[in-house]
Amino acid sequence: MKTLSPLNSSNPCLLKTHFLKVPIFNPIFKFKPLPHNTHHARIAKVPSFTMNSKLKSSQDINNTGKKSVSQKIVLSETSPPPLAVDKDGINGGSGSESVPVSSKKKGGVSGLAKKLSKKVLQILSNLSLAIGEMFTIAALMALGTVIEQGEAPDFYFKNYPEDHPVLGFFTWRWVLTLGFDHMFTSPVFIGMLALLGASLMACTYTTQIPLVKVSRRWAFLHSAEAIRKQEFSDTLTRASIEDVGTLLMGAGYEVFLKGPCLYAFQGLAGRLAPIGVHISLLLIMVGGTLSAAGSFKGSVTVPQGLNFVVGDVLGPTGFLSTPTEAFNTEIHVNRFYMDYFESGEVSQFHTDLSLLDMDGKEVMRKTISVNDPLRYGGITIYQTDWSISALQILKDNEGPYNLAMAPLQINGDKKLFGTFLPVGDINSPDVKGISMLARDLQSIVLYDKEGKFAGVRRPNSKLPINIDGSEIVILDAIGSSGLDLKTDPGVPTVYAGFGALMLTTCISYLSHSQIWAIQDGTSVIIGGKTNRAKMEFPEEMNRLLDKVPEIVESSSSQQVDTITSG
Amino acid sequence: MVKLVDTLLLGSSARASRFESEWRHGIFYSKRLLGHLIFMIFSTLEHILTHISFSVVSIVISTHLITLLVNEILGFHDLSKNGMIISFFCITGLLITRWILSGHLPFSDLYESLIFLSWGFSIFHIVFCFKKHKNDLSAIIAPSVIFTQGFATSGVLTEIHQSAILVPALQSHWLMMHVSMMIFGYAALLCGSLLSVGILVITFGEVIQILGKSNNLYFLNESFSFVEIQYMNRNERNNVLQKTFFSSSRNYYRSQFIQQLDRWSYRIISLGFLFLTIGILSGAVWANEAWGSYWNWDPKETWAFITWTIFAIYLHTRKNTKFESVNSSIAASLGFLIIWICYLGINLLGIGLHSYGSFTSN
Repeated sequence: MKTLSPLNSSNPCLLKTHFLKVPIFNPIFKFKPLPHNTHHARIAKVPSFTMNSKLKSSQDINNTGKKSVSQKIVLSETSPPPLAVDKDGINGGSGSESVPVSSKKKGGVSGLAKKLSKKVLQILSNLSLAIGEMFTIAALMALGTVIEQGEAPDFYFKNYPEDHPVLGFFTWRWVLTLGFDHMFTSPVFIGMLALLGASLMACTYTTQIPLVKVSRRWAFLHSAEAIRKQEFSDTLTRASIEDVGTLLMGAGYEVFLKGPCLYAFQGLAGRLAPIGVHISLLLIMVGGTLSAAGSFKGSVTVPQGLNFVVGDVLGPTGFLSTPTEAFNTEIHVNRFYMDYFESGEVSQFHTDLSLLDMDGKEVMRKTISVNDPLRYGGITIYQTDWSISALQILKDNEGPYNLAMAPLQINGDKKLFGTFLPVGDINSPDVKGISMLARDLQSIVLYDKEGKFAGVRRPNSKLPINIDGSEIVILDAIGSSGLDLKTDPGVPTVYAGFGALMLTTCISYLSHSQIWAIQDGTSVIIGGKTNRAKMEFPEEMNRLLDKVPEIVESSSSQQVDTITSG
Repeated sequence: MVKLVDTLLLGSSARASRFESEWRHGIFYSKRLLGHLIFMIFSTLEHILTHISFSVVSIVISTHLITLLVNEILGFHDLSKNGMIISFFCITGLLITRWILSGHLPFSDLYESLIFLSWGFSIFHIVFCFKKHKNDLSAIIAPSVIFTQGFATSGVLTEIHQSAILVPALQSHWLMMHVSMMIFGYAALLCGSLLSVGILVITFGEVIQILGKSNNLYFLNESFSFVEIQYMNRNERNNVLQKTFFSSSRNYYRSQFIQQLDRWSYRIISLGFLFLTIGILSGAVWANEAWGSYWNWDPKETWAFITWTIFAIYLHTRKNTKFESVNSSIAASLGFLIIWICYLGINLLGIGLHSYGSFTSN
């Protein structure tokens, strides 16, 4: 985009010639030759382009400064065509921008299909519809947290009975037929999400991509009243427009100067970033669908020292799930251990794993813990839980016996495991014995036949304890590790979408400010507007304008007297 | 002789080792004493800071209320501004003390996150206060009310809450980013939605008052001018003002005030939306690293997503410029309620994977 600077070679800094990478429609300059356009896939437009190029050249001939105002009006009223950004950077496509609507070349069915798709597109990209969709989705999600998910139908019969329904009408029939018991996978919810995705795509295509062209199209304002009508406007009585331009450039604006007119803008990215937001949302949706349809999940509790095969544990979640070669790996739990705080609570639990392939060769070895998973061949193994599997004891120096420990039910997330060593006649109906309880792998509490507290032992101390005549030595408490396995092909896409969303949301916080100015005799009339930062804009402009030097008519040549304020 | 030396040596070495062990014991005990001392200093410091900030904020809030009513005492404004700055430093000191004491960032439970929330409010208040360069009622009303809430809750909760240990699932670097972004997001969104509630209160209060008075044409005219004024831009407004005949310039100032509130609300909510987005996404990535799945439809996650959706609706209702301030204020007020449900309501129920902050645990 070339700028026409006034023939003022003392201000070379105003020549910014390379600003826009893709030049857009320029009402003033020469038209580009025809052949560059043929590789745009708008077949219907090619014949019209020839008409149009003639139109443009005639416009060129008649072009004067005044005419460009009416040209500006014409430009902004026609809706711009869809995307036609070329690799060569030629603005061919945009040249057909004031194209007469004569693209109905094909007849019959495809014409009908085109009309129908246009209508559908128009409906889908309606903003109120989108807002309604978002609202419905929010309401459905809220409902999904209120209604208990994933319970058996009996639960809903009991809680939403037909004789006295909740809120007067909500019975279990509503819940089960609409699928509210599995809300987040129910057809209603998924359908709304799909509709929102369609709206997003339609909106991006019809409204936002043309917005790119419209916002990057700029035009000078040539009349003082037009400038005074802006949200912010001011008049500087003795100033020159070049000074204003220089100051704006110093403040970070892109400035264009043509004759007595000036146009400057800043923060264009803030207007274009919402497009990126919508595209990244679409990316996340696609990735989410891929995850839901194509991943494998499974969880397993493995006692220390045992193995399992990956493929036995994982189960598919959707129709796109296909197992890979890595599913034949066998995993061996070498060791499971826990770290404790000084107060005795669990601080972290670790599992030392070896991965063996089908020939029994170890391909990987790693110690995992919570927040530190293992990744191999697309499979990820997470440490999520733990339990105690068995207690190894010596009774009267006989053994070692392995006593399996069972979890005992208490409230909260504290765990308790217990086991029982029978004493005396095993086959009698009310057999008595020694009970052993453990909260974690650190210490075991022992109780005698009557249930009285007998003592506490740590497994690695090997100290014997005498209960009811038997001598018990606790050799080891064998823990078992709770592992979750997963493969998820959608994760890279989703992560890309996340990153893009974060970035584009940050950028869309910027405010797009535009400033017009005109030199009217010795005074400069300035007006501007901004789309987001409406509070700070007037103050910023006032600060900037305070710095414009005032021209004092001391000599005939336009010497700027340095009465700069501030 | 050798034996004597031997026994002497042995004896002395035994004594030496005994002395050494006693000495080591002594060091050990004095280390523990020192540790206890430091602990006590820090905890008293924390105690003091909490009480100072609480009382300063109460004073500030009461001065704001007085200025609202009286409207003329100039000295109070400086007092309130300085009061806010003092309380900001107090809270910062409080957070840092808790951090040093417990060894981990102060995010582990509800009390600490509430303190962090009040810190977030004070930051936003100070940033926007300094940006304004002139006193404005809008920057005063909202943060005062918010501060009341933040501090009342945290004061009511416990006197001085003992800092707890971090469970294994929370021992991650993502904790810092996720929780801080979420809380900053909540703080900004709460500020913005309170401003919108203010807009609604003023708009509808005024309209109801006017319509309730009488069916006189004069009043209708006034109500027309008042309500319509907000939807015109600056120059149209000047024309209308010159043309319509109304006696009180009160309406004009009130509509200007509403416009300011509206614009501030928009800016703050945009910023809060940004933080909320980053917070939700970093939470999702963390969940993927820790539990294997980036979205579990956990109640807390779902409500955070609902909050995000409501504020996305807010941002989109502003596209339609005809009724932008009223419609979007309705959305933002709804968002205000939803944030409190998301932040406190879920914890009260104590369900789901986010049950660290619940009242019923421990």
